[in-house]
Amino acid sequence: MMIEAYIRHHAETMPDKVAVVNGSQYVSYGCLWRKIQERADELRKNGLRQGGVVVMHTSQTIDFLVGYFAVHLAGAVAMPLEKSMPEKRFNELSERFARFNPPEGVADILFTTGTTGNSKGVMISHDTIIADAENLVESHGYTSQTVFVVCGPLNHIGALSKVYPVMMQGSTLVILDGMRNLEAFFQAMDYPSDKMATFLVPANVRMLLMLAKKRIALLADRIDFIESGAAPLSHADMKALCELLPNTRLFNTYASTETGIIATYNYNDGRCMAGCMGHTMKHAGVRIDSDGRIVCRGRTLMTGYANDFEMTSRILRDGELYTADLGRIDADGMLHLVGRMDDVINVGGLKVDPVEVENVAMELPQIADCICVQVEHPVAGLALKLIVVMKDGESMDRKIIARFISQTLESYKVPLIYEQVDNIRRTFNGKPDRKSYRV
Amino acid sequence: MKEEIRNLLEEFLPLVDLDSDFLFAELDSLGVTAIMMTLSEKYGITLEVEDATPKNLRNLDSIVYMVKSKIS
Repeated sequence: MMIEAYIRHHAETMPDKVAVVNGSQYVSYGCLWRKIQERADELRKNGLRQGGVVVMHTSQTIDFLVGYFAVHLAGAVAMPLEKSMPEKRFNELSERFARFNPPEGVADILFTTGTTGNSKGVMISHDTIIADAENLVESHGYTSQTVFVVCGPLNHIGALSKVYPVMMQGSTLVILDGMRNLEAFFQAMDYPSDKMATFLVPANVRMLLMLAKKRIALLADRIDFIESGAAPLSHADMKALCELLPNTRLFNTYASTETGIIATYNYNDGRCMAGCMGHTMKHAGVRIDSDGRIVCRGRTLMTGYANDFEMTSRILRDGELYTADLGRIDADGMLHLVGRMDDVINVGGLKVDPVEVENVAMELPQIADCICVQVEHPVAGLALKLIVVMKDGESMDRKIIARFISQTLESYKVPLIYEQVDNIRRTFNGKPDRKSYRV
Repeated sequence: MKEEIRNLLEEFLPLVDLDSDFLFAELDSLGVTAIMMTLSEKYGITLEVEDATPKNLRNLDSIVYMVKSKIS
Protein backbone atom coordinates (compact mmCIF):
# COMPACT_ATOMS: atom_id res chain seq x y z
CA MET A 1 0.00 0.00 0.00
CA MET A 2 1.25 3.47 -0.87
CA ILE A 3 0.03 6.84 0.41
CA GLU A 4 -0.69 7.77 -3.22
CA ALA A 5 -3.49 5.15 -3.27
CA TYR A 6 -5.38 7.29 -0.75
CA ILE A 7 -5.03 10.37 -2.95
CA ARG A 8 -6.43 8.39 -5.89
CA HIS A 9 -9.32 7.17 -3.71
CA HIS A 10 -10.19 10.72 -2.59
CA ALA A 11 -9.91 11.92 -6.20
CA GLU A 12 -12.55 9.35 -7.12
CA THR A 13 -14.86 9.82 -4.13
CA MET A 14 -14.56 13.58 -3.40
CA PRO A 15 -12.80 15.13 -6.41
CA ASP A 16 -13.74 18.71 -5.52
CA LYS A 17 -12.54 18.61 -1.92
CA VAL A 18 -9.63 21.03 -1.40
CA ALA A 19 -6.47 18.98 -0.92
CA VAL A 20 -3.69 21.58 -0.77
CA VAL A 21 -3.58 25.36 -0.39
CA ASN A 22 -0.49 27.46 -1.01
CA GLY A 23 -0.99 31.24 -0.94
CA SER A 24 -3.71 32.00 -3.47
CA GLN A 25 -3.35 28.58 -5.12
CA TYR A 26 -5.91 25.87 -4.28
CA VAL A 27 -5.85 22.34 -5.64
CA SER A 28 -8.61 19.75 -5.23
CA TYR A 29 -8.01 16.03 -4.78
CA GLY A 30 -9.21 15.44 -8.36
CA CYS A 31 -6.79 17.99 -9.74
CA LEU A 32 -3.93 16.88 -7.49
CA TRP A 33 -4.25 13.28 -8.66
CA ARG A 34 -4.33 14.34 -12.35
CA LYS A 35 -1.19 16.41 -11.87
CA ILE A 36 0.59 13.55 -10.11
CA GLN A 37 -0.30 11.11 -12.90
CA GLU A 38 0.85 13.53 -15.59
CA ARG A 39 4.16 14.16 -13.81
CA ALA A 40 4.73 10.43 -13.28
CA ASP A 41 4.13 9.83 -17.02
CA GLU A 42 6.66 12.55 -17.85
CA LEU A 43 9.23 11.00 -15.53
CA ARG A 44 8.76 7.57 -17.15
CA LYS A 45 9.02 9.07 -20.65
CA ASN A 46 12.25 10.78 -19.61
CA GLY A 47 13.74 7.42 -18.74
CA LEU A 48 13.28 7.25 -14.97
CA ARG A 49 14.19 3.72 -13.94
CA GLN A 50 12.19 1.67 -11.43
CA GLY A 51 13.84 1.95 -8.03
CA GLY A 52 16.04 4.83 -9.19
CA VAL A 53 16.72 7.79 -6.90
CA VAL A 54 15.34 11.22 -7.86
CA VAL A 55 17.19 14.03 -6.11
CA MET A 56 14.92 17.04 -5.61
CA HIS A 57 15.28 20.60 -4.36
CA THR A 58 12.61 21.01 -1.70
CA SER A 59 10.25 23.95 -2.00
CA GLN A 60 7.17 24.85 0.03
CA THR A 61 4.88 24.54 -2.98
CA ILE A 62 2.13 22.38 -4.44
CA ASP A 63 4.46 21.64 -7.34
CA PHE A 64 7.00 20.07 -4.98
CA LEU A 65 4.33 17.78 -3.51
CA VAL A 66 3.15 16.80 -7.00
CA GLY A 67 6.73 15.89 -7.92
CA TYR A 68 7.26 14.00 -4.67
CA PHE A 69 4.14 11.84 -5.09
CA ALA A 70 4.83 11.39 -8.83
CA VAL A 71 8.28 9.94 -8.12
CA HIS A 72 6.62 7.30 -5.91
CA LEU A 73 3.91 6.61 -8.49
CA ALA A 74 6.55 6.10 -11.16
CA GLY A 75 8.17 3.45 -8.96
CA ALA A 76 11.21 5.50 -7.95
CA VAL A 77 12.64 6.84 -4.70
CA ALA A 78 12.39 10.54 -3.72
CA MET A 79 15.40 12.27 -2.19
CA PRO A 80 14.25 15.79 -1.26
CA LEU A 81 17.12 17.99 -0.14
CA GLU A 82 17.15 21.12 2.01
CA LYS A 83 16.39 24.22 -0.05
CA SER A 84 19.31 26.11 1.50
CA MET A 85 21.74 23.31 0.60
CA PRO A 86 24.67 24.82 -1.33
CA GLU A 87 24.87 23.83 -5.02
CA LYS A 88 28.24 22.11 -4.50
CA ARG A 89 26.81 19.76 -1.87
CA PHE A 90 23.61 19.17 -3.88
CA ASN A 91 25.68 18.10 -6.88
CA GLU A 92 27.91 15.91 -4.72
CA LEU A 93 24.90 14.05 -3.30
CA SER A 94 23.22 13.77 -6.71
CA GLU A 95 26.33 12.13 -8.10
CA ARG A 96 26.74 9.84 -5.08
CA PHE A 97 23.21 8.48 -5.37
CA ALA A 98 22.87 8.41 -9.17
CA ARG A 99 23.62 4.71 -9.37
CA PHE A 100 22.45 3.71 -5.88
CA ASN A 101 19.89 0.89 -5.78
CA PRO A 102 17.77 1.15 -2.64
CA PRO A 103 16.20 -2.04 -1.26
CA GLU A 104 12.72 -2.87 -2.55
CA GLY A 105 9.91 -0.95 -0.90
CA VAL A 106 11.93 2.18 -0.14
CA ALA A 107 9.99 5.39 -0.86
CA ASP A 108 12.27 8.18 0.34
CA ILE A 109 15.81 9.01 1.33
CA LEU A 110 15.74 11.86 3.85
CA PHE A 111 18.91 13.59 4.98
CA THR A 112 19.34 14.20 8.66
CA THR A 113 22.00 14.61 11.30
CA GLY A 114 19.73 12.64 13.58
CA THR A 115 20.73 9.84 15.82
CA THR A 116 24.36 9.40 14.80
CA GLY A 117 25.74 12.87 14.11
CA ASN A 118 26.99 13.73 10.57
CA SER A 119 24.50 13.87 7.69
CA LYS A 120 23.09 10.52 6.66
CA GLY A 121 20.57 9.43 4.04
CA VAL A 122 17.77 7.72 5.95
CA MET A 123 15.75 5.24 3.86
CA ILE A 124 12.02 5.29 4.58
CA SER A 125 9.75 2.60 3.13
CA HIS A 126 6.20 2.97 1.81
CA ASP A 127 5.09 0.74 4.68
CA THR A 128 6.72 3.10 7.18
CA ILE A 129 4.90 6.06 5.63
CA ILE A 130 1.58 4.22 6.07
CA ALA A 131 2.45 3.23 9.65
CA ASP A 132 3.42 6.84 10.52
CA ALA A 133 0.18 8.10 8.97
CA GLU A 134 -1.94 5.57 10.87
CA ASN A 135 -0.15 6.41 14.12
CA LEU A 136 -0.92 10.10 13.71
CA VAL A 137 -4.50 9.59 12.51
CA GLU A 138 -5.31 7.44 15.52
CA SER A 139 -3.42 9.46 18.16
CA HIS A 140 -4.23 13.00 17.03
CA GLY A 141 -7.60 12.38 15.43
CA TYR A 142 -7.16 13.64 11.86
CA THR A 143 -10.45 13.58 9.94
CA SER A 144 -11.55 14.81 6.52
CA GLN A 145 -12.52 18.07 8.30
CA THR A 146 -8.98 18.72 9.55
CA VAL A 147 -7.18 21.68 7.99
CA PHE A 148 -3.49 21.29 8.74
CA VAL A 149 -1.09 24.23 8.39
CA VAL A 150 2.42 23.04 7.70
CA CYS A 151 5.21 25.61 8.17
CA GLY A 152 8.37 23.50 8.38
CA PRO A 153 10.55 22.35 5.50
CA LEU A 154 8.91 19.52 3.56
CA ASN A 155 12.15 17.52 3.37
CA HIS A 156 12.18 17.27 7.17
CA ILE A 157 10.29 14.43 8.85
CA GLY A 158 8.57 16.88 11.22
CA ALA A 159 6.67 18.51 8.34
CA LEU A 160 6.64 15.71 5.76
CA SER A 161 5.12 13.23 8.22
CA LYS A 162 2.06 15.50 8.54
CA VAL A 163 1.42 15.31 4.82
CA TYR A 164 0.79 11.56 5.20
CA PRO A 165 -2.20 11.61 7.62
CA VAL A 166 -3.68 14.57 5.73
CA MET A 167 -3.60 12.61 2.46
CA MET A 168 -4.78 9.43 4.18
CA GLN A 169 -7.88 11.10 5.65
CA GLY A 170 -8.68 13.47 2.79
CA SER A 171 -8.03 16.49 4.99
CA THR A 172 -6.75 19.84 3.71
CA LEU A 173 -3.09 20.86 3.83
CA VAL A 174 -2.08 24.53 3.90
CA ILE A 175 1.59 25.02 3.00
CA LEU A 176 3.56 27.98 4.36
CA ASP A 177 7.15 28.91 3.65
CA GLY A 178 8.37 28.98 7.24
CA MET A 179 7.21 31.24 10.03
CA ARG A 180 9.15 34.42 9.33
CA ASN A 181 6.00 36.11 8.02
CA LEU A 182 3.73 35.69 11.00
CA GLU A 183 0.92 37.55 9.27
CA ALA A 184 0.92 34.81 6.63
CA PHE A 185 0.67 32.22 9.43
CA PHE A 186 -2.36 33.94 10.93
CA GLN A 187 -3.95 34.35 7.50
CA ALA A 188 -3.51 30.59 6.99
CA MET A 189 -5.07 29.94 10.39
CA ASP A 190 -8.06 32.05 9.28
CA TYR A 191 -9.08 29.27 6.89
CA PRO A 192 -12.83 28.75 7.40
CA SER A 193 -12.75 25.71 9.67
CA ASP A 194 -13.00 24.97 13.37
CA LYS A 195 -10.72 21.96 12.95
CA MET A 196 -7.47 23.83 12.43
CA ALA A 197 -4.24 22.06 13.32
CA THR A 198 -0.54 22.71 12.96
CA PHE A 199 2.94 21.48 13.83
CA LEU A 200 5.25 23.92 15.58
CA VAL A 201 8.83 23.34 16.64
CA PRO A 202 9.57 24.86 20.09
CA ALA A 203 11.22 27.91 18.49
CA ASN A 204 7.96 28.65 16.63
CA VAL A 205 5.99 28.35 19.87
CA ARG A 206 8.43 30.77 21.51
CA MET A 207 8.00 33.25 18.65
CA LEU A 208 4.23 33.16 18.85
CA LEU A 209 4.25 33.60 22.61
CA MET A 210 6.65 36.52 22.35
CA LEU A 211 4.96 38.39 19.52
CA ALA A 212 1.41 37.21 19.13
CA LYS A 213 -0.22 36.05 22.38
CA LYS A 214 -3.41 38.02 21.74
CA ARG A 215 -3.76 36.70 18.20
CA ILE A 216 -3.37 33.09 19.35
CA ALA A 217 -5.99 33.56 22.05
CA LEU A 218 -8.44 34.77 19.38
CA LEU A 219 -8.08 31.38 17.65
CA ALA A 220 -8.85 29.41 20.81
CA ASP A 221 -12.17 28.01 19.59
CA ARG A 222 -10.89 27.07 16.15
CA ILE A 223 -7.63 25.25 16.81
CA ASP A 224 -8.32 21.54 17.25
CA PHE A 225 -4.73 20.55 17.99
CA ILE A 226 -1.12 21.73 17.88
CA GLU A 227 1.68 19.21 17.73
CA SER A 228 5.22 20.05 18.79
CA GLY A 229 8.35 18.01 18.53
CA ALA A 230 11.92 17.89 17.23
CA ALA A 231 13.29 19.58 20.38
CA PRO A 232 12.25 19.93 24.03
CA LEU A 233 9.53 22.49 24.69
CA SER A 234 10.16 24.59 27.80
CA HIS A 235 7.74 24.05 30.66
CA ALA A 236 6.96 27.78 30.79
CA ASP A 237 5.95 27.78 27.12
CA MET A 238 3.87 24.62 27.57
CA LYS A 239 1.97 26.24 30.44
CA ALA A 240 1.52 29.52 28.55
CA LEU A 241 0.04 27.69 25.56
CA CYS A 242 -2.31 25.70 27.82
CA GLU A 243 -3.58 28.95 29.33
CA LEU A 244 -4.11 30.60 25.95
CA LEU A 245 -5.76 27.56 24.37
CA PRO A 246 -7.63 25.75 27.18
CA ASN A 247 -9.75 23.60 24.82
CA THR A 248 -7.06 22.75 22.28
CA ARG A 249 -5.24 19.43 22.35
CA LEU A 250 -1.53 20.20 22.65
CA PHE A 251 0.77 17.32 21.78
CA ASN A 252 4.43 16.71 22.42
CA THR A 253 5.59 13.94 20.09
CA TYR A 254 8.62 11.69 20.19
CA ALA A 255 9.81 11.06 16.64
CA SER A 256 12.86 11.21 14.44
CA THR A 257 13.67 10.40 10.84
CA GLU A 258 15.21 7.09 11.88
CA THR A 259 12.54 5.98 14.38
CA GLY A 260 9.44 7.40 12.69
CA ILE A 261 6.52 8.63 14.81
CA ILE A 262 6.73 6.79 18.12
CA ALA A 263 4.88 8.37 21.05
CA THR A 264 2.78 11.42 21.88
CA TYR A 265 1.42 13.24 24.95
CA ASN A 266 -1.39 15.78 25.22
CA TYR A 267 0.11 18.13 27.79
CA ASN A 268 -3.10 20.14 28.06
CA ASP A 269 -4.28 17.49 30.52
CA GLY A 270 -4.07 19.50 33.73
CA ARG A 271 -0.70 17.99 34.63
CA CYS A 272 1.38 19.55 31.82
CA MET A 273 4.44 17.34 32.41
CA ALA A 274 7.64 18.72 30.83
CA GLY A 275 9.72 16.14 28.97
CA CYS A 276 6.82 13.68 28.79
CA MET A 277 6.33 12.04 25.41
CA GLY A 278 3.31 9.98 26.42
CA HIS A 279 2.33 6.49 25.36
CA THR A 280 3.64 4.72 22.30
CA MET A 281 1.41 4.71 19.24
CA LYS A 282 -0.15 1.63 17.69
CA HIS A 283 2.68 0.73 15.31
CA ALA A 284 5.52 1.51 17.74
CA GLY A 285 7.14 0.12 20.85
CA VAL A 286 9.77 1.46 23.22
CA ARG A 287 12.08 0.12 25.92
CA ILE A 288 14.95 1.62 27.89
CA ASP A 289 18.22 -0.31 27.74
CA SER A 290 20.73 -0.75 30.57
CA ASP A 291 22.50 2.51 29.60
CA GLY A 292 19.24 4.45 29.90
CA ARG A 293 18.96 4.75 26.11
CA ILE A 294 15.59 4.79 24.31
CA VAL A 295 15.27 1.75 22.03
CA CYS A 296 12.39 1.73 19.51
CA ARG A 297 10.71 -1.01 17.50
CA GLY A 298 7.84 -1.34 15.06
CA ARG A 299 6.78 -0.57 11.51
CA THR A 300 7.81 3.09 11.71
CA LEU A 301 11.55 2.38 11.85
CA MET A 302 13.79 3.32 8.93
CA THR A 303 14.96 0.66 6.49
CA GLY A 304 18.56 1.75 7.09
CA TYR A 305 21.10 4.39 6.10
CA ALA A 306 21.62 4.60 2.35
CA ASN A 307 25.03 3.32 1.31
CA ASP A 308 26.15 2.85 4.92
CA PHE A 309 25.76 -0.70 6.17
CA GLU A 310 28.22 -0.19 9.03
CA MET A 311 26.41 2.80 10.50
CA THR A 312 23.06 1.05 10.04
CA SER A 313 24.19 -2.05 11.92
CA ARG A 314 25.51 0.14 14.72
CA ILE A 315 22.03 1.41 15.62
CA LEU A 316 19.56 -1.00 13.97
CA ARG A 317 19.82 -4.52 15.37
CA ASP A 318 17.28 -7.36 15.55
CA GLY A 319 14.43 -5.09 14.58
CA GLU A 320 15.26 -2.51 17.23
CA LEU A 321 16.64 1.00 16.76
CA TYR A 322 19.04 2.32 19.40
CA THR A 323 18.60 6.10 19.60
CA ALA A 324 21.03 8.56 21.23
CA ASP A 325 18.23 9.79 23.48
CA LEU A 326 18.16 8.96 27.17
CA GLY A 327 14.76 8.27 28.68
CA ARG A 328 12.64 6.59 31.30
CA ILE A 329 9.22 5.00 31.34
CA ASP A 330 6.98 5.95 34.27
CA ALA A 331 4.51 3.80 36.20
CA ASP A 332 1.73 4.67 33.73
CA GLY A 333 3.87 3.46 30.83
CA MET A 334 4.58 6.97 29.55
CA LEU A 335 7.92 7.81 27.97
CA HIS A 336 9.97 10.71 29.39
CA LEU A 337 13.00 12.30 27.71
CA VAL A 338 15.96 12.78 30.03
CA GLY A 339 18.82 13.91 27.74
CA ARG A 340 21.17 12.82 24.96
CA MET A 341 24.20 10.56 24.86
CA ASP A 342 26.08 12.39 22.10
CA ASP A 343 27.28 15.90 21.19
CA VAL A 344 24.57 16.63 18.61
CA ILE A 345 23.12 20.13 19.06
CA ASN A 346 19.43 20.73 18.41
CA VAL A 347 18.99 24.16 16.81
CA GLY A 348 15.33 25.12 16.57
CA GLY A 349 14.39 21.50 15.89
CA LEU A 350 17.21 20.74 13.44
CA LYS A 351 20.08 18.59 14.60
CA VAL A 352 23.67 19.63 13.96
CA ASP A 353 26.84 17.63 14.49
CA PRO A 354 29.40 20.18 15.80
CA VAL A 355 32.26 18.18 14.27
CA GLU A 356 30.83 18.70 10.79
CA VAL A 357 30.83 22.48 11.38
CA GLU A 358 34.36 22.42 12.82
CA ASN A 359 35.70 20.41 9.88
CA VAL A 360 34.37 22.96 7.40
CA ALA A 361 35.59 25.95 9.45
CA MET A 362 39.09 24.42 9.68
CA GLU A 363 39.34 24.58 5.88
CA LEU A 364 39.50 28.37 6.15
CA PRO A 365 43.26 29.09 5.95
CA GLN A 366 43.19 31.81 8.63
CA ILE A 367 41.84 29.48 11.35
CA ALA A 368 44.31 27.52 13.48
CA ASP A 369 41.83 25.70 15.72
CA CYS A 370 38.16 25.85 16.61
CA ILE A 371 35.32 24.25 18.52
CA CYS A 372 31.60 24.47 17.84
CA VAL A 373 29.49 24.57 21.00
CA GLN A 374 25.92 25.25 22.00
CA VAL A 375 24.79 28.46 23.68
CA GLU A 376 21.37 29.41 24.98
CA HIS A 377 19.25 31.39 22.54
CA PRO A 378 16.11 33.25 23.63
CA VAL A 379 14.10 32.04 20.61
CA ALA A 380 15.70 28.87 19.26
CA GLY A 381 16.45 27.43 22.70
CA LEU A 382 19.98 26.62 21.57
CA ALA A 383 22.23 28.23 18.98
CA LEU A 384 25.67 27.39 17.61
CA LYS A 385 28.74 29.28 18.73
CA LEU A 386 32.10 28.89 17.03
CA ILE A 387 35.11 29.55 19.22
CA VAL A 388 38.17 30.08 17.08
CA VAL A 389 41.92 30.39 17.43
CA MET A 390 43.25 32.48 14.54
CA LYS A 391 46.69 31.94 13.01
CA ASP A 392 49.44 34.41 13.91
CA GLY A 393 48.76 37.85 12.49
CA GLU A 394 45.13 37.03 11.54
CA SER A 395 42.11 38.57 13.22
CA MET A 396 38.61 37.12 13.32
CA ASP A 397 35.93 38.40 10.94
CA ARG A 398 32.63 36.67 11.79
CA LYS A 399 31.11 37.47 8.39
CA ILE A 400 33.98 35.88 6.47
CA ILE A 401 33.79 32.72 8.57
CA ALA A 402 29.98 32.52 8.39
CA ARG A 403 29.92 32.97 4.62
CA PHE A 404 32.69 30.43 4.15
CA ILE A 405 30.78 27.80 6.14
CA SER A 406 27.54 28.60 4.29
CA GLN A 407 29.23 27.69 0.99
CA THR A 408 29.39 24.08 2.15
CA LEU A 409 26.71 23.58 4.78
CA GLU A 410 23.01 24.34 5.08
CA SER A 411 22.24 27.74 6.65
CA TYR A 412 20.99 26.29 9.96
CA LYS A 413 24.46 24.76 10.46
CA VAL A 414 26.18 28.15 10.28
CA PRO A 415 27.01 29.40 13.80
CA LEU A 416 25.32 32.62 14.94
CA ILE A 417 27.89 33.59 17.58
CA TYR A 418 31.70 33.82 17.19
CA GLU A 419 34.48 34.32 19.70
CA GLN A 420 38.23 34.53 19.24
CA VAL A 421 40.36 32.90 21.95
CA ASP A 422 44.03 32.02 22.42
CA ASN A 423 43.45 28.29 22.69
CA ILE A 424 40.78 25.60 22.73
CA ARG A 425 40.43 23.59 25.93
CA ARG A 426 41.19 19.90 25.37
CA THR A 427 40.83 16.72 27.40
CA PHE A 428 43.85 14.68 28.60
CA ASN A 429 43.84 12.69 25.33
CA GLY A 430 43.77 15.78 23.12
CA LYS A 431 40.08 15.80 22.19
CA PRO A 432 38.17 19.10 22.37
CA ASP A 433 36.73 19.38 25.88
CA ARG A 434 33.11 19.88 24.84
CA LYS A 435 31.72 19.36 28.32
CA SER A 436 33.68 22.31 29.70
CA TYR A 437 31.97 24.62 27.17
CA ARG A 438 28.47 23.24 27.73
CA VAL A 439 25.79 25.59 29.08
CA MET B 1 20.60 55.27 15.60
CA LYS B 2 21.11 53.50 12.26
CA GLU B 3 24.69 52.53 13.08
CA GLU B 4 23.70 51.47 16.58
CA ILE B 5 21.02 49.16 15.18
CA ARG B 6 23.41 47.83 12.53
CA ASN B 7 25.95 46.91 15.22
CA LEU B 8 23.25 45.29 17.34
CA LEU B 9 21.91 43.16 14.49
CA GLU B 10 25.33 42.19 13.14
CA GLU B 11 25.97 40.40 16.43
CA PHE B 12 23.44 37.65 15.69
CA LEU B 13 22.86 37.83 11.93
CA PRO B 14 26.28 36.96 10.51
CA LEU B 15 24.94 35.78 7.15
CA VAL B 16 22.57 38.67 6.49
CA ASP B 17 23.57 41.62 4.31
CA LEU B 18 22.31 44.55 6.36
CA ASP B 19 22.78 46.91 3.41
CA SER B 20 20.34 44.92 1.32
CA ASP B 21 17.03 46.35 0.15
CA PHE B 22 15.63 42.82 0.40
CA LEU B 23 16.53 42.23 4.02
CA PHE B 24 13.29 40.41 4.86
CA ALA B 25 13.95 37.86 2.12
CA GLU B 26 17.28 37.00 3.74
CA LEU B 27 15.80 36.39 7.18
CA ASP B 28 14.39 33.22 8.64
CA SER B 29 11.81 33.06 11.42
CA LEU B 30 14.47 33.08 14.12
CA GLY B 31 16.07 36.14 12.58
CA VAL B 32 12.78 38.04 12.46
CA THR B 33 11.97 37.22 16.07
CA ALA B 34 15.46 37.97 17.29
CA ILE B 35 15.35 41.41 15.62
CA MET B 36 11.98 42.25 17.18
CA MET B 37 13.11 41.06 20.58
CA THR B 38 16.46 42.85 20.49
CA LEU B 39 14.92 46.15 19.42
CA SER B 40 12.16 45.86 22.05
CA GLU B 41 14.71 45.36 24.79
CA LYS B 42 17.18 47.98 23.59
CA TYR B 43 14.66 50.80 23.04
CA GLY B 44 11.98 49.80 25.58
CA ILE B 45 9.28 49.57 22.91
CA THR B 46 6.54 47.01 22.35
CA LEU B 47 6.78 45.21 19.04
CA GLU B 48 4.13 42.67 18.08
CA VAL B 49 3.27 40.38 15.22
CA GLU B 50 1.65 43.24 13.27
CA ASP B 51 5.04 45.01 13.23
CA ALA B 52 7.01 42.05 11.84
CA THR B 53 6.01 42.76 8.25
CA PRO B 54 8.09 42.53 5.06
CA LYS B 55 7.59 46.31 4.69
CA ASN B 56 8.95 47.16 8.15
CA LEU B 57 11.89 44.79 7.71
CA ARG B 58 12.68 45.67 4.10
CA ASN B 59 16.00 47.34 4.92
CA LEU B 60 17.89 48.99 7.74
CA ASP B 61 16.22 52.37 7.08
CA SER B 62 12.74 50.89 7.41
CA ILE B 63 13.75 49.23 10.67
CA VAL B 64 15.05 52.55 12.00
CA TYR B 65 11.78 54.21 10.91
CA MET B 66 9.75 51.55 12.73
CA VAL B 67 11.75 52.00 15.95
CA LYS B 68 11.52 55.81 15.79
CA SER B 69 7.77 55.74 15.22
CA LYS B 70 7.31 53.38 18.18
CA ILE B 71 9.43 55.60 20.42
CA SER B 72 7.47 58.68 19.44
